[in-house]
Amino acid sequence: MGVTILQQFPMLENRTGPQTIDFLTKRVVALGAIQCGQFLVDCDTYMSTPSLGPQRTVHVMHNSEQPASVFSLLESSGKTIPLVADGLFDLLMLKMTPIYTKKQTKVESKGPRFELADFCIKLGSVTISQNFKGVLVEVEYRPCVVPATCWDLLREFLQGFLGSCVPSMPPQYLQPRMNEIYQPMDTIQQYLEHFSMYRKASGVLQFN
Amino acid sequence: MSQPVSTAVDNLSAALKSNIIPNQEYLLQGSVVDTAVEVLLHRLRGLCDNVDSGPETFNDHEMCFSIVNVEGGASPQPLLLRVRRALDYPDMPWQLRYIGQQEGTGDKSRPTIVRNSIDIGTSSTVVDFLTEMGCRMDFEYIARGYMFRKGRMKITVTKIFKMGPGKSLDSVEPISQSYLVELSVLAPTGQDAIAEDMRIFAEQLRPLVVLEKVDYKRLPPMGP
Amino acid sequence: MEPLHTALGAIKVLRCSVGQVFSCLANGVRADHGEEGRDAKFLSELDELLSSVTQHLRDVEQAVNSLSQPPGPFTLGNTSFLSQECTQERQALYSQLVLSYKWTDKIHEFSNLSVALLSQNSLKRSYTNSSTAKRRRAPTSSHNVPPQNVDTVISSIDRQFPDMNISVSRPFGANAVLQVTLSRVLQAVVALKGLMIEWVVVKGYGETLDLWSESRHKVFRKITENSHAAMLHFSSPTMPELAVRSFMTWLHSFNTLFSDPCKRCGNHLHSALPPTWRDFRSLEPFHEECKH
Repeated sequence: MGVTILQQFPMLENRTGPQTIDFLTKRVVALGAIQCGQFLVDCDTYMSTPSLGPQRTVHVMHNSEQPASVFSLLESSGKTIPLVADGLFDLLMLKMTPIYTKKQTKVESKGPRFELADFCIKLGSVTISQNFKGVLVEVEYRPCVVPATCWDLLREFLQGFLGSCVPSMPPQYLQPRMNEIYQPMDTIQQYLEHFSMYRKASGVLQFN
Repeated sequence: MSQPVSTAVDNLSAALKSNIIPNQEYLLQGSVVDTAVEVLLHRLRGLCDNVDSGPETFNDHEMCFSIVNVEGGASPQPLLLRVRRALDYPDMPWQLRYIGQQEGTGDKSRPTIVRNSIDIGTSSTVVDFLTEMGCRMDFEYIARGYMFRKGRMKITVTKIFKMGPGKSLDSVEPISQSYLVELSVLAPTGQDAIAEDMRIFAEQLRPLVVLEKVDYKRLPPMGP
Repeated sequence: MEPLHTALGAIKVLRCSVGQVFSCLANGVRADHGEEGRDAKFLSELDELLSSVTQHLRDVEQAVNSLSQPPGPFTLGNTSFLSQECTQERQALYSQLVLSYKWTDKIHEFSNLSVALLSQNSLKRSYTNSSTAKRRRAPTSSHNVPPQNVDTVISSIDRQFPDMNISVSRPFGANAVLQVTLSRVLQAVVALKGLMIEWVVVKGYGETLDLWSESRHKVFRKITENSHAAMLHFSSPTMPELAVRSFMTWLHSFNTLFSDPCKRCGNHLHSALPPTWRDFRSLEPFHEECKH
């Protein structure tokens, strides 16, 4: 598992979601990338019943890059506890139904997946209950496992095809973990960070 | 260009539909006193598949959690969850296990207990996760013993040790002067033929150990 | 010995003259005998030849008579057995002798050529001392070093770089295989023969290491290639320890593989690869395309 950076790509008013994906696909292919299938990251959210005391939220997420795993994040009184489990965890959540109920609508990011040398690029359209919300670009640099050592390299790569929307600082979530070994859970946490932002915003996120 | 990715939920419901998820546990239980355990182990070594390699040993820590839905009526059924980890292999995944209500205890025609069971491999954060989710840890213990295989059947001979708060794992004391013997199979729903195989195998262990259906409801209530 | 030689010489002469008689008889009357009285001329020639045969036969008898019995049995070695087998075909000696002659001839020729080539080639990895005159000390051998010496050298290199961890194992007898872990950037397997580096494979952190398979990642496949070049560059049969030490120092410079930009173009990436080349002297990072 290499270091992965998730980056929002700004939507322009005169461009639809598929047009934006097309536009980025052309750029990535021009760099020499080859399309290798599709990808999907999804997130279901469960809320605890009021009788259980303070409100707790469980986000259950899947990533097609790790198809045998279920990633769960429990948000409870300011803490976030991650859990990686195998596929049957979904069955357990069904058993939990009276106590934890699926409240919010499903968030997904899906689209084409590209490979370029040791990079893996994913262009995802984010939808909340099938409504288009924006474009998330994921870039993974697979040979490197420590974010601090390859952030500059990844930023150079991202700027190379996304332009000036790439910030000079690493994503907020990664900043305290720059010297740790990167885990698949770290990608999931970045997705959750972005998904929450899309949920809070009404309509398509605009950057002008 | 390529097939769109199917969602995890689609995959799971497809697996459920084709009934390939082993979610039923068939179980028989018994016990044997310490002095007789060597004879039983000897017998099992002869009967089971892993003859050449000898029995596999284990040294596990098990924690039992429950969560109750208060709004679930007058006498709500708690949801039982167990977390098990191998003390001798600290890098192995932890095991989270859901255990449902047992059926077949009163039914003479069914040779074994049948209960719903979901086994899930997880990361080591599972205890924190369950605790924060609102689960309560009821009790915990150390289980050490031997594991045998016979076809799809699993036979465990386990010594159970008490765990006190603040005690080191080396100085634990046994809970009784006997070993717990369990014969179990995890299978997809509807494979009741295996229960008959288990009954026949249990017959072969008589009279060293008597394996039978234990009705938990008829046991005296435990704990506070 | 002398009388034996004269006797053998006399036999040779006798055989020659007998041969002449028969060839003369076989040819019969020739043109140079002329037209007149050619039969007489032929007969007189034959007579002359026959008389020389008689004379030579006398010489042989004389020489043989002067020979003395050898005092003891001759020590002929294996050749004495040759007399046991009398048919030439069964011995098949001739063809074998010709073959071995050709072999020795070829070996001689090739060794001359290879000496000429090896003395020119600067990448020679075996120690050849061309000046045999000054043989002051026993030639140092890079591939026949006691395991303890190898361990000492490796552990001193290990201590030299705190962020590079080297462990030694000996899966194939006496020769060491090093497993190098360079912080959390890369891993390498280095196979040694004595103190000579024979093989290097570089892989990513967390990949499974073995001697034969290559890395999943393009960048480490490139570095493996470059480290083969480095292994040859640093190879020095006279100072094997220095060669290993220089190679390890060079390998250690990949610590900043992902973080250092190229010295020439100033960028991190070129064709989606970081600077995979390190200069042998300055250890400065360059892209494959920027190093010249």
